[in-house]
Amino acid sequence: MKYFAGIDIGSTAIKISIVDENKNLIGSKISASGSMFYKYAQETLDALISELGFNNNDIVYIVATGYGRKLYKEADENISEITANAIGARAAASEFGEIKTIINIGGQDSKAISLDSEGNVVNFAMNDRCAAGTGKFLDVVALKLEMDVNMLGEYHFRSKGTPLSVSSTCAVFAESEIIGLLGNDHSIEDIVCGVHYSIAKRIVKLVKRVGIKEGIYFDGGPALNDGLVNAIENEIGQRIFVPKHPQITTSFGAAIMGVDSYNYENS
Amino acid sequence: MNNTNHNIESPKEKQNRHKAMEAIKLLNTLREDFKAPISSMGYFYDLFERVHCKHESLHDDKTKIGTMCIQIPSEIIYALDGIPIRLCNGFYTDDEIGSDFMPQKACPLIKATVGHFASGNFTDKPDIVFSPTTCDQKTKAGTTIESFGYKLIDVDFPRTKESEASREYWRRSVKQFAVELSKFQGKKLTKNNLKDAIKKIGYAQLLYHKLSEFRKNEIVPILGMDVFLVTNAFFFDKIDNWIEATEKLLSELEIRAREKITVTGKASPRIIYTGSPPIFPNYKIPQIIEESDGIIVADETCSSNRMFNDMVAVDEWNIYDMMDSISDKYLKACTCPIFTKNEDRIRRVIQLAREYKADGVIYQAFAGCTVYEMEQRSVLEAMEKEGIPILYLESDYSPSQGGQLSTRVEAFIESLKTRRRNKK
Repeated sequence: MKYFAGIDIGSTAIKISIVDENKNLIGSKISASGSMFYKYAQETLDALISELGFNNNDIVYIVATGYGRKLYKEADENISEITANAIGARAAASEFGEIKTIINIGGQDSKAISLDSEGNVVNFAMNDRCAAGTGKFLDVVALKLEMDVNMLGEYHFRSKGTPLSVSSTCAVFAESEIIGLLGNDHSIEDIVCGVHYSIAKRIVKLVKRVGIKEGIYFDGGPALNDGLVNAIENEIGQRIFVPKHPQITTSFGAAIMGVDSYNYENS
Repeated sequence: MNNTNHNIESPKEKQNRHKAMEAIKLLNTLREDFKAPISSMGYFYDLFERVHCKHESLHDDKTKIGTMCIQIPSEIIYALDGIPIRLCNGFYTDDEIGSDFMPQKACPLIKATVGHFASGNFTDKPDIVFSPTTCDQKTKAGTTIESFGYKLIDVDFPRTKESEASREYWRRSVKQFAVELSKFQGKKLTKNNLKDAIKKIGYAQLLYHKLSEFRKNEIVPILGMDVFLVTNAFFFDKIDNWIEATEKLLSELEIRAREKITVTGKASPRIIYTGSPPIFPNYKIPQIIEESDGIIVADETCSSNRMFNDMVAVDEWNIYDMMDSISDKYLKACTCPIFTKNEDRIRRVIQLAREYKADGVIYQAFAGCTVYEMEQRSVLEAMEKEGIPILYLESDYSPSQGGQLSTRVEAFIESLKTRRRNKK
């Protein structure tokens, strides 16, 4: 059996997926990008290979993607994270139905991608060069509220009052707004809920730029936060699909791309 | 999938949440961000929170008479046992909804009012709406609102106020309005019920004037934003509750004045606010002014001063005289820029600037409110002649845009401070 690896080197995390010849997901691994993308990417891949009981020769093709993709020279190919995300989302959502729009929130950016019925990217929109409405924003908020970022979802659903909106779209200014709210003894739950709605509103604006359609897929680390998922669903007015492992969609797509490229090159 | 267990909001729930978030943001600013908060303002903060965040109805037991402008005489509505609900709207959420029904460059106040009707999302839904034909956009918005299925009656309003003909015309309109409402309510207008209503509103006006007196003091005991909140509450609150709460506010201000408790800094410039009305929760410009160390000491707007300034002046307490006096109050005393000639407004602003010892005037027009935008020129010229500094700003309801506006306001306020220093 031949295996194919997709390596997604993001600003915050490195995500690796391995698929077999039939494009089934065999394994995946996530680690922090840290300061040395290349080194950590290699270490993570080695660790995943040994976890799966494979050796290096089993991996016949590697596709790199993500913001740091060009730093990983061992890759057979590199593709943009937008293409990889589209391919991965379509495969991951096969049980859900056709995907028309992808929302991706990464560590330092957010995107909306619109697909045609064949799964080709027809349009996409990205946030401005700023951490507003990204995973980093949630990290900053969690840090200020002295909680783990995984707890945000739980706090969201405990909010009883009116969500307190954070009007600054800048992560730095938003931080001082949150300090102000905390200083005035507002409930942390209402603050968290308001933060989620602020991000959700920005995301919906982004999605509107490519057109809101039925069949919305949401991935990236922040998709693990079901409070944020709920806020986006409310703002967008429809159910959105979140895959089981939202962080690895793009690396999964890159690995699938690897199968096709390998077959094409060896046909 | 990990998110199937939570419900998605209905469109109505979503609108309510958006509006609640707008409301609470302003209310928390008022409660927390300024020095020496006034405890009796708590009634008004809570009132707006109850209505806009908790969606409580206030008038379940009464017929609600929606009005689209200040020109619909509340005296007649109260006399006929109705509750006037003024539907001029300040919510950005509704502005966005209304945008689907109005031209893109329309006035945000009217877009928001139309949006409110389009959503049908009322805590106190009007049983009938009276729409005076004041500005073009309000006049035309009437038919749009009617098309949503509301019972709406136009009240013909003239756009000149000098001529005797327009005075007669408006008096007839007010009579017609009284006839329509009397039919709708199944009640008759009598000398007694009209007199009582005039007196009650007159008393509320008196309280407003007393409140204004405190703002003439060198040490200003109340924020302009708080005063806007008090006057905006008059749009929809139970009048007796409003009167009681305002009386309490006045007693507290009395103490504050005696103890020299102030909400301003030592050198805070005194500002007269004129132009498009601040309506809850769109206090964008007042907030920028008062966060930039200015203090609004008086205003010339239809959401505040213009509602209370002029009393019904009755000679003989018979019904005909009362009706004519009511009509005159809503036409002759009105300083709305829809009128052909509007020297009255300029005189009013100059008079306010003198009486309240203002350092400057801030004139705000909603982008899309053509008449305020047009009248800007004559007001600016007049102020220049009088030597009163004035700043003209255009704004809308969008929550962004704050940065540019605040830089201009800050610079203006700083220039007023310098001017004052140089005078001494």
